[in-house]
Amino acid sequence: MQRRDFFKQLGAVATIAAISPAISFADEAKKPKGPNDLSFKAALDAITGGKGAVESSKVSLKVPEIAENGAVVPVTVEVESPMTDSDYVKAIHILATKNANTRCIDVHLTPANGKAMFATRIKLGDTQDVTAIVALSDGTFLSASQNVKVTIGGCG
Amino acid sequence: MSSRKSLIKIKPNSYKDGEIVKVSFMVMHPMETGMRKDKTTKEIIPAKYVNSVKFEYNGKVITTMNVWESLSTNPVFTTYMKINGEGKFSVTYSDSTGEVHEKSMKIKPKG
Amino acid sequence: MKNTIKIALSLALVCSLSYASEQFAMSDADREMYAEMLEDNPADIMVANGGELLEEFCGGEAGLAAFFKISEDELPAYIAGFPRYLEEFKQVVGLDQALQGLMHKNGHKPFALKSSDMFDMGSYAKSLANGVKLQIDIDANKHMKEAYALGKLTFEQKRGSRGLSCLSCHSPQVIGGILRTQPLPDIGSNGNASAATWPAYRMTKSSLRTLQRRFQGCMNNALLAVIPLGSPEMVGLEVYFTQEAKGSEIAIPGLKR
Repeated sequence: MQRRDFFKQLGAVATIAAISPAISFADEAKKPKGPNDLSFKAALDAITGGKGAVESSKVSLKVPEIAENGAVVPVTVEVESPMTDSDYVKAIHILATKNANTRCIDVHLTPANGKAMFATRIKLGDTQDVTAIVALSDGTFLSASQNVKVTIGGCG
Repeated sequence: MSSRKSLIKIKPNSYKDGEIVKVSFMVMHPMETGMRKDKTTKEIIPAKYVNSVKFEYNGKVITTMNVWESLSTNPVFTTYMKINGEGKFSVTYSDSTGEVHEKSMKIKPKG
Repeated sequence: MKNTIKIALSLALVCSLSYASEQFAMSDADREMYAEMLEDNPADIMVANGGELLEEFCGGEAGLAAFFKISEDELPAYIAGFPRYLEEFKQVVGLDQALQGLMHKNGHKPFALKSSDMFDMGSYAKSLANGVKLQIDIDANKHMKEAYALGKLTFEQKRGSRGLSCLSCHSPQVIGGILRTQPLPDIGSNGNASAATWPAYRMTKSSLRTLQRRFQGCMNNALLAVIPLGSPEMVGLEVYFTQEAKGSEIAIPGLKR
């Protein structure tokens, strides 16, 4: 079979693909509830004591625009800070705003880190914003967010 | 139980006193959320995830982490650390089922 | 009828996403971020474990070199020449099969080819050749020539209910096309040089997998009967892939989606 014919044949059944999102929605309703489920709002309040966080360019959040695989999404957070005893980043919190438990990790740093950076890999159930909340030693909170599209990629 | 496989990496391989180095800890762990069903038995697989990690350097706590089930299977934790003399860097970690492990590495700055 | 729907659905999935390629293709910055993950590859833990297994069951690098009747210095270049025809086996074998032979010789029950212990140990052994270029010699003898020919046939042969071959998705005409956000890889040295970057950590499987194990997954998805690991066809396929990527620098473990 010529390649063009191959793809033409694929096109003939393309409409069937529209059914699949409906199937996944039905699955979602039956999703079991986890013991640690916590909304983004509740997690943000718990971290900041209700004060909230200010979006800041001092926080650099690096995540892929499109995740190759929702099960392994690289996240790197870097914060501009001298990391001295009087002025340092106390904590970096990484949140996945639409996961049932939005909290991924709370990282408590000290001046001995020398540099305010933390990197890990997280699971994202769906396309959503990833947010980093940063606690500074002066008691204020900064944040940065970015959307990550999660698709089913590749074969098998 | 100390059989869980893990690895500490410090970059660069060779460093001086006072240098800020990148330190990574990775561990083989299923990071089960407790929300996933076994494909064959249809039973929910019980939650089992790393819930706490602590980095220490010569007995001084450098970084502590509260970890949740959203971290990927076989998780990786990377940050920086200031080299401050010879000694031991150690990682203690526990999981939601109560397993506790420790892994350590010698710190030997050159010059 | 049921079968027809099943096939139609899977084809629809393939095509819906290949048409969506424009908006879903990953950016270069994203790819770079995934490339950086190689620095902290979870498979490093498994490869380190493989080093311990090699020590315990094969006498480490010294034992491996002695088994191949070469010096330890020659080991990386020798490993970069696998799959090879080995006289003791009277056939072309992969590095994993050679390790089985060595385990047997040392009085141990060899690890199964599909066991994670073998994946770990085989990956460690191949990583000894990291930085060395793949240097398979398919003209070395008639056995290698035959293995290459069988591998090429296995690659090109249409099989299964969908009549697909490996070539259907990995021919020069299709390479670079996007299938479900992923570019169809050029297996050769101009592309991802599969043979030089497997074994690799498979993110979707959260485990270390070999090239032959990946072939099996691919056959399974394409509805082709799955060929056993270490069989002449499988080793032939690895020979073919290695020849295609010849000259590429070995970098084990890789990291794949």
